[in-house]
Amino acid sequence: MHLLKAQKIYKSFGNKFNRTEVLKGIDFTIDQGEFVTIMGPSGSGKTTLLNVLSSIDQVSHGTITIDGHIITNMKSKKLAEFRKHHLGFIFQEYNLLDTLTVKENILLPLSIQKVSRQQANEKFDLAAKELGIYEQRNKYPSEISGGQKQRTSAARAFIHQPSIIFADEPTGALDSKAASNLLNKMVEMNEKHKATILMVTHDPVAASYSDRVVLLKDGEVYSQLNKGDEDQQLFFNDIVKTQGVLGGVQHER
Amino acid sequence: MNVNQLIYRNLKNNLRNYYLYVFALIFSVSIYFAFVTLQYDASMDPATGTIKGQAAVRAGTIVLILIVGVFLVYANNLFIKRRSNEIALFQLIGMTKGKVFRLLTIENLILYLVSLAIGIGVGFSISKLMVMIVYKLTDVTDIATMHFSTEALKQTLIVFGIIYLLIMFVNYLFIKRESILSLFTIQQSTEIKVKRLSIFQVLLGLLGIGFIISGYVVSQQLFSGDFSTTNELFYAMAFILGAVIVGTYLFYKGSVTFVLQLIRKSHKGYLSINQVLSTSSIMFRMKSNALLLTIITTVSALAIGLLSLSYISYYSAEKQAENFVINDFSLVNEESYKQFTSILEENGIDYQVNQIEVFNVELDATNIMDFNYDEDSSVTMNPSELQLPIISDESIEEIDVDENHFFLSGYSDFLQRFMSFKKSGEATIKTESEQFSMKFIGLNREYYVSNYFTNGGGMPIGIVDEAKYQQLKTDMDPELQQRSQDGGAMTFRGIDVSEQDIEKANELFLTEEIDRWAGNDSQQNMARNQRMNMGLIMFIVGFLGLTFLVTSGCILYFKQMDESENEKPSYTILRKLGFTQQDLIKGIQLKQFFNFGIPLLVGLLHSYFAVQSGWFFFGTEVWTPMLIVMIVYAILYSLFGLLSVLYYRKIIQEAL
Repeated sequence: MHLLKAQKIYKSFGNKFNRTEVLKGIDFTIDQGEFVTIMGPSGSGKTTLLNVLSSIDQVSHGTITIDGHIITNMKSKKLAEFRKHHLGFIFQEYNLLDTLTVKENILLPLSIQKVSRQQANEKFDLAAKELGIYEQRNKYPSEISGGQKQRTSAARAFIHQPSIIFADEPTGALDSKAASNLLNKMVEMNEKHKATILMVTHDPVAASYSDRVVLLKDGEVYSQLNKGDEDQQLFFNDIVKTQGVLGGVQHER
Repeated sequence: MNVNQLIYRNLKNNLRNYYLYVFALIFSVSIYFAFVTLQYDASMDPATGTIKGQAAVRAGTIVLILIVGVFLVYANNLFIKRRSNEIALFQLIGMTKGKVFRLLTIENLILYLVSLAIGIGVGFSISKLMVMIVYKLTDVTDIATMHFSTEALKQTLIVFGIIYLLIMFVNYLFIKRESILSLFTIQQSTEIKVKRLSIFQVLLGLLGIGFIISGYVVSQQLFSGDFSTTNELFYAMAFILGAVIVGTYLFYKGSVTFVLQLIRKSHKGYLSINQVLSTSSIMFRMKSNALLLTIITTVSALAIGLLSLSYISYYSAEKQAENFVINDFSLVNEESYKQFTSILEENGIDYQVNQIEVFNVELDATNIMDFNYDEDSSVTMNPSELQLPIISDESIEEIDVDENHFFLSGYSDFLQRFMSFKKSGEATIKTESEQFSMKFIGLNREYYVSNYFTNGGGMPIGIVDEAKYQQLKTDMDPELQQRSQDGGAMTFRGIDVSEQDIEKANELFLTEEIDRWAGNDSQQNMARNQRMNMGLIMFIVGFLGLTFLVTSGCILYFKQMDESENEKPSYTILRKLGFTQQDLIKGIQLKQFFNFGIPLLVGLLHSYFAVQSGWFFFGTEVWTPMLIVMIVYAILYSLFGLLSVLYYRKIIQEAL
């Protein structure tokens, strides 16, 4: 059963006379409970693909189905409704609201759904404890570390048990320890709660935590790597090797 | 791209972004020009003009320059900060600071020249309207003619030239001082640092509310007789002013945050979208804008208060004239009465005469007055020796008083503050040689004789039974009849003419100089004079109030523009999380309701208490004029709130 199915996705920017094709007919599926990473050099279209798949941007052609809903022809109001229930987000820049405490930030997605306060609190306790930020719940984002911020952001993405979670360079602004901490938590959520995760990164180490890596080049799927039964180190070597073949700019940093 | 193109592009871009700034500039220029044109208008000339108000208008222009100057400098500061990135970029690509400054100067110059030209055009076309308004308000029936005044043009150019130089100087300092790096980060640095609420803040918040309330309480007692020496009065006023202003500041600094925090706490972290957008954002921003908000609130309160008071006196002009003059004309002696009636007869005007005889007695009111004069040495009035004018109940048809009873009439809110009487009691009326113990049976607001007889309206009048009146009259004390020519009783003569004759009679009254005797008055004349004086003051106050309203509204709007720009990332997050635009707009509406509503509400409250504490000095009617002023102010003010919501709508639309 495919949770997310993208068929022949095209996306171009610009006007009639000056058009840049960013995505050139991408076919792509994610299964229920899978942890997938999209990699690719700069300009390969990975962020665009993530934006399109997560309904934040519109495709030029093609259809995207998530959990049985075709999102490519939904109206913006309906899309908002859809995001509310089915999608979760983790961003590189944390994207927490400065004026809200950690707890308030995490509870945001629940406040739009009609969840009782008691239920919301239970869910919060669970998510916050699992991600190790329960102690920080009454602090403001400016008072906690980057790693804690990102875990807050992750807790916010997980709390309403969305069908799929989109993570855009979640480790981009973290040091390696905080990054591996976060990724371990994400793997844990993936295994324990069968959360489906789609992550975009250019960091092969981060990618090696996932089940499958999709490599993009110039707006097309270049190759896919499955972790299978390999351990993380071997998978990492595979990724780096393929990346080398891929050429282009491998490390943006 | 050369520099000229750069300037042109910048200008085009800025016009679109800062249309309100340009609007504010045009508005300031046109208002100023219109006002100055008025100052140089022939009708304002003290010697020849119909309205002698040049001095008042000139004072107004000075206040206007202050408001406009501060406003423009402030607006410029906000905008240059928003453009700091651009300025840094220019420097980064190798422009010298001097060159960047020149760029800005030229850009601003073009903006200024265009605004000046448009503003002067608009100002000239509305100046006629303004003169018409002044005429209307002051009851002048001239036809407004307008000449383009070169004097006014010169003055406008000079003033705005100086403001321009001032702004350029501020910009120069800004560019000179800031390094490229700090320019890039300046937008982030203006963002608020979110910190948790400390106990100290809670205390400050409570203190703020306490200060405001204590100021209000004292203001209500200000003229109730509790503070009767000038010194005490002065200290009380200073206390009110200080307490309310400091209280307002602390209110914004702490109380708002504190109250909102309480609301938030009660939700235990589970906030609805409306609360996310409104309360949490306001909580922190209000605190950082406390000073600005305090100034806006205080000056708003001042504007509303002054506007209310001047409108009260304008509004009460007719009523007051009626109370003071009683009939269409009031005459105080036989001679003028004979002259005026014969003139009226000559001109074939029918009239009715209302004659009331008045003389003064001494009243010992110790037992019926509510004040402790012993404690206060500065009160010169001695309640045991009050000089009271009295009339007989025969003089007034609908009234009949028992013998040994008397009541007081012509009692006003104004009098009440200085002489408060009990409902009833025993009092003694003294004549030259005798004393009569009389029963005081109450107070009445009706006026029966003109204010000439009641110490300029400073005393009520006593009404006694006819028999008693005659008895008192035979033994009247001539020393108390200072205003009488022969030391005897005087007669108030009120003359009424019919509606259609009133204009003509009034003209005769003036041309024959019946008012050369002090105390002779025409009701129409008095109302007209009052309206003329108050009309011009009201116009100027109203005008300045309007200018202030627009500028402070603009400042709040600019602030909101800035804030929306800063909060844009938040909207992006929220929309990604699945909140619809409508959800966000709803939250924003609530936020703006608070953002504009709180300063407005506090300002209205301040002015309400200010007006309540002293309105009786200005007129006879308080509620209608005050409410009209407040409602109009609130409506105009909320327009800016609406505008800002529209701006937010645009930002939210672009956020995803």
